[in-house]
Amino acid sequence: MIDALTFYNNLTLAELEVGNHFYWQIGNFQVHGQVFMTSWFVIALLVIAAIAAITNKKVQTAPSGMQNFMEYVLEFLRDLAKNQLGEKDYRPWLPFIATLFLFIFVSNWSGALVPWGLIEIPDSELAAPTNDINTTVALALLTSLAYFYAGFSKKGLGYFANYIQPIPILLPIKILEDFTKPLSLSFRLFGNILADELVVAVLVFLVPLFVPLPLMALGLFTSAIQALVFATLAGAYIHEAIEGYDEEEHE
Amino acid sequence: MFDFDATLPLMAVQFLILMILLNQIFYKPLGEAIDLRAEYVRKNQADARERLAKAKELAKQYQQELAAARKQSQQIIADAQAEAKKIAEEKIAAAQKEAIAKREAAAQEIENEKQQALATLEQQVDALSRQILEKLLGPELVK
Repeated sequence: MIDALTFYNNLTLAELEVGNHFYWQIGNFQVHGQVFMTSWFVIALLVIAAIAAITNKKVQTAPSGMQNFMEYVLEFLRDLAKNQLGEKDYRPWLPFIATLFLFIFVSNWSGALVPWGLIEIPDSELAAPTNDINTTVALALLTSLAYFYAGFSKKGLGYFANYIQPIPILLPIKILEDFTKPLSLSFRLFGNILADELVVAVLVFLVPLFVPLPLMALGLFTSAIQALVFATLAGAYIHEAIEGYDEEEHE
Repeated sequence: MFDFDATLPLMAVQFLILMILLNQIFYKPLGEAIDLRAEYVRKNQADARERLAKAKELAKQYQQELAAARKQSQQIIADAQAEAKKIAEEKIAAAQKEAIAKREAAAQEIENEKQQALATLEQQVDALSRQILEKLLGPELVK
């Protein structure tokens, strides 16, 4: 009986590893090598897709093939940004929001679809870049910077008036929001992706075949939703910073 | 799980570089293509709408002209008919008048002939009655 159990344990199809990192030393700093490796893969994928779209036969008026697909993607991203920021203001913020969505989406799906586990690296395993807290916090802080920049560039110091509108009593909550926004953004994404990979790993650990498949499909779905949520919220925060209460009344 | 290190800023920088790169090779060129196409479609649509309006206007104008022409032709026909009727009536009247005149002339002639014939007849009656008297009474008594 015990022999049989150890036999199964020796034949591991999956291992659970959380918090082990493949460290790279750069000067005095340490970085998580596995995160950068997969993120470079994601970036390369995006850049190759973009180049394939524009270098096919230059940019055509009647799109075909890859250009058609990428235009579809771009229209989707434009709608995403437009829905949050409005027709008037969305253009300067399109690159930020679109890149957020693309990077998170491709990261999540690469974590779910690419069999990273087959590539051996010391001390750790490859996974979606978004299941490292550093990545999600980096993206969330960039979002914070983006909406502060949006607010200040649009209204100057008048942006601080947002904190006491519509009523000054909300000031503490408004200040608190500046901290909870990046916190919730980063932890939502990190938690969802990590939990998804853990659930799949645990199930594979328990029942190796077929049973984890529906959960993997669900994981694909949540991954896509998380990317959409992150990009949408980033757009909403930027819109909130740009749009004042006075202006909304006039609209 | 929560160990922050230099991965965070480097990831942020990497993301910004990706953003700038994608903006140059993806969002800008394809966005321009989409906008240009949208502009082209809108322009063509406006053009087509304008042409349609023009065509409708022309069709309407032709219809009006057609109606006017039809009306005019009917007028002409009516005029011609009226004129023809008038001419016909005139001619008929003239013919009738002539016929009446001829009949009257004929009747007059007949009357004349009759008078003449009667006169001749009377003369002959006179002559015959004289001859009869002469025969009966003898020529001496008649004078």
